[in-house]
Amino acid sequence: MSNNTTNVNQEKKLFDREVIQEIEAQKEHWQQNTVKGKVGEGQYYSDSGIPVNLLYTPDDIKDIDYLKDIGFSGEAPYVRGVYPNMYRGRLFTVRQIAGFGTPEDTNERFKFLLKNGATGTSVVLDLPTIRGYDSDDPEGEGHVGAAGVAIDSIEDVEALYDGIPIDEISSNIVTHLPSTTVVVMAMFAAMAEKKGIPLEKLSGTNQNDFLMETAIGSSLEVLPPKASFRLQCDAIEYASKNLPRWNPVSYNGYNLREAGTTAVQEVACAIANAIATSEELIRRGNKIDDFAKRLSFFWNLFNDFFEEIAKCRASRLVWHEVMKERFNAQETKSHLMRFHVQTAGITLTKVEPLNNIARSAIQGLAAVLGGAQSLHVDSYDEAYSAPTEESALISIRTQQIIQAETNVVNTVDPLAGSYFVEKLTQEMAQRIRDYIAEIESKGGLVSVVESGWLHREISDFAYEMQKDIESGKHKIVGLNYFPTEQRNTKVEVFRYPESAEKRQKEKLEKLRQKRDQAKVEAAINVLREKCHEDVNLMPYIKDAVLAYATLGEIEEVFREEFGLWQFPLA
Amino acid sequence: MQVKVVMAKLGLDIHWRGALVVSRMLRDEGMEVVYLGNQFPEQIVDAAIQEGADVIGLSTLGGNHLTLGPKVVKIAQEKGVDALIIMGGVIPEDDIPLLQEAGIAEVFGPETRIESIAEFIRSKVKNSIA
Repeated sequence: MSNNTTNVNQEKKLFDREVIQEIEAQKEHWQQNTVKGKVGEGQYYSDSGIPVNLLYTPDDIKDIDYLKDIGFSGEAPYVRGVYPNMYRGRLFTVRQIAGFGTPEDTNERFKFLLKNGATGTSVVLDLPTIRGYDSDDPEGEGHVGAAGVAIDSIEDVEALYDGIPIDEISSNIVTHLPSTTVVVMAMFAAMAEKKGIPLEKLSGTNQNDFLMETAIGSSLEVLPPKASFRLQCDAIEYASKNLPRWNPVSYNGYNLREAGTTAVQEVACAIANAIATSEELIRRGNKIDDFAKRLSFFWNLFNDFFEEIAKCRASRLVWHEVMKERFNAQETKSHLMRFHVQTAGITLTKVEPLNNIARSAIQGLAAVLGGAQSLHVDSYDEAYSAPTEESALISIRTQQIIQAETNVVNTVDPLAGSYFVEKLTQEMAQRIRDYIAEIESKGGLVSVVESGWLHREISDFAYEMQKDIESGKHKIVGLNYFPTEQRNTKVEVFRYPESAEKRQKEKLEKLRQKRDQAKVEAAINVLREKCHEDVNLMPYIKDAVLAYATLGEIEEVFREEFGLWQFPLA
Repeated sequence: MQVKVVMAKLGLDIHWRGALVVSRMLRDEGMEVVYLGNQFPEQIVDAAIQEGADVIGLSTLGGNHLTLGPKVVKIAQEKGVDALIIMGGVIPEDDIPLLQEAGIAEVFGPETRIESIAEFIRSKVKNSIA
């Protein structure tokens, strides 16, 4: 960390006071004489409502103290990037999501992606798995292996990673909910131990965000926010003690944004969640530096190019401030806001789908200019189905073009120093701080979920956005801006393997027959009791998965012991 | 008379944004909309009976449209409900004729103007009354 404890004085500003005074005078003159009456003089706004000027000049950043407010890469306040050498040291990870059918089906897709240059695996789970039901549960009908892969038992996790070097490449598991995370993480860890791989060697990320269960996605049976938050914290605490290279949470700004928020709200909610987590883990007797270094974040980059880049820079700044000022974190790593980016699925259109390749490339470029640690570029057929092999390959190629052909990775944070980008970064940071303060004034993140306040914020945004799209105020090419005649494009649609549900159910039936039922019940009963104690549930969940208890059986314990919560939407 | 709509997320599908925005905008169009949240076919039909709904709106992006959509129609028929059943979400083009054959009156994909959903409802509900 840099030590800038000396007083901030005039000499530390980027420009002389006299120079600024002259620029301000000239700017006023330019405004009155050169610009006045010209087209475009009125007010413009960024996507999150920040006023955007016609022209930015040094006076817009006259109060910035470079060393204190911006600094160097790998040093506080980390605006320029979390690592000193950024992409020269390590390129961003090309991480394309895959997941459909049975674990065996997805294992094949993993191998295809790795062969073509993906540098880590990333798996999505099907809805029954995400929502805690086994493949033979009637609740899951029609969803088994459909929008992700089905996981029922530790055997499925073994099949999913068969032949994948999990001790060498990182594994991202899009578990969404904490309740799913604790089970799947336990299965993953147990699988590794059975293979003889020490837990210290496992690197990867779980999603594990209680907002996914209680605000972002609705469902039939939802755990109460406090219970879901507890499981989120259990997973983080367990990993901080046992899986030192694992990121047990990826605070999910991404899906908040897809559901309906501004870029400011996206980052503020995610950081508010990280603050709540930190407070809870400290209450449990952990030290901030035990776990903060493994907290990671997940951003969604829309088309407002500069705002998104400014958001990435501002998010690093605010996180550093939180770690320093609130929690007094000592280790450098605790101050590093590391984030994964996925380009914005919701910005992709069904009309003229090939245009989506351009949109995703622009969003992906913004992610790299914003200093992302890993990237998923959405495929052009997003509005039709899960990606086909062909469209998934274009997404990988887009990332490789950014990495190898554009030269943008050769220098760190290349947009720093732009009057506009620096000003916007400061403005985003302030709005993120203000929104965190608003959440905390209402009792913190868990409270605003319980009260339904956050749901209303999301719903209001989505409603206003739809009105703006229908009125043409929010322009979408091919849809309301130069609308296309060609309404029905033929796109090759990815079909989920139809036999998946049957194959998965057969495996499950065999498992239930061959396992030691008494052992399963014993493990489940211990877990049931522990739900009511102030202890971490992870070890008991791991015992249960090793006894071949299924994901659905374990999550049924949560539903029974924690009860269900009515989702506040109307 | 005010048109009454029950709107449901079909089964486990988690994406509530579309269903809620459509609900709010149909209210702007003067309709009464009861948002049911996530429900299974049987519960959706029961809610439609209880509410005396003219329209059942089903929303899904999770790939369960072919399994659960026709089921809603079948249960509605069995229980003598003649509400207009419509669907919205991410649904492959090729599946739309199959859904229509099964009795889903119309399928609205992404980028549909909410106005046009309202127009469709008014034309159908008026016709069935007349």
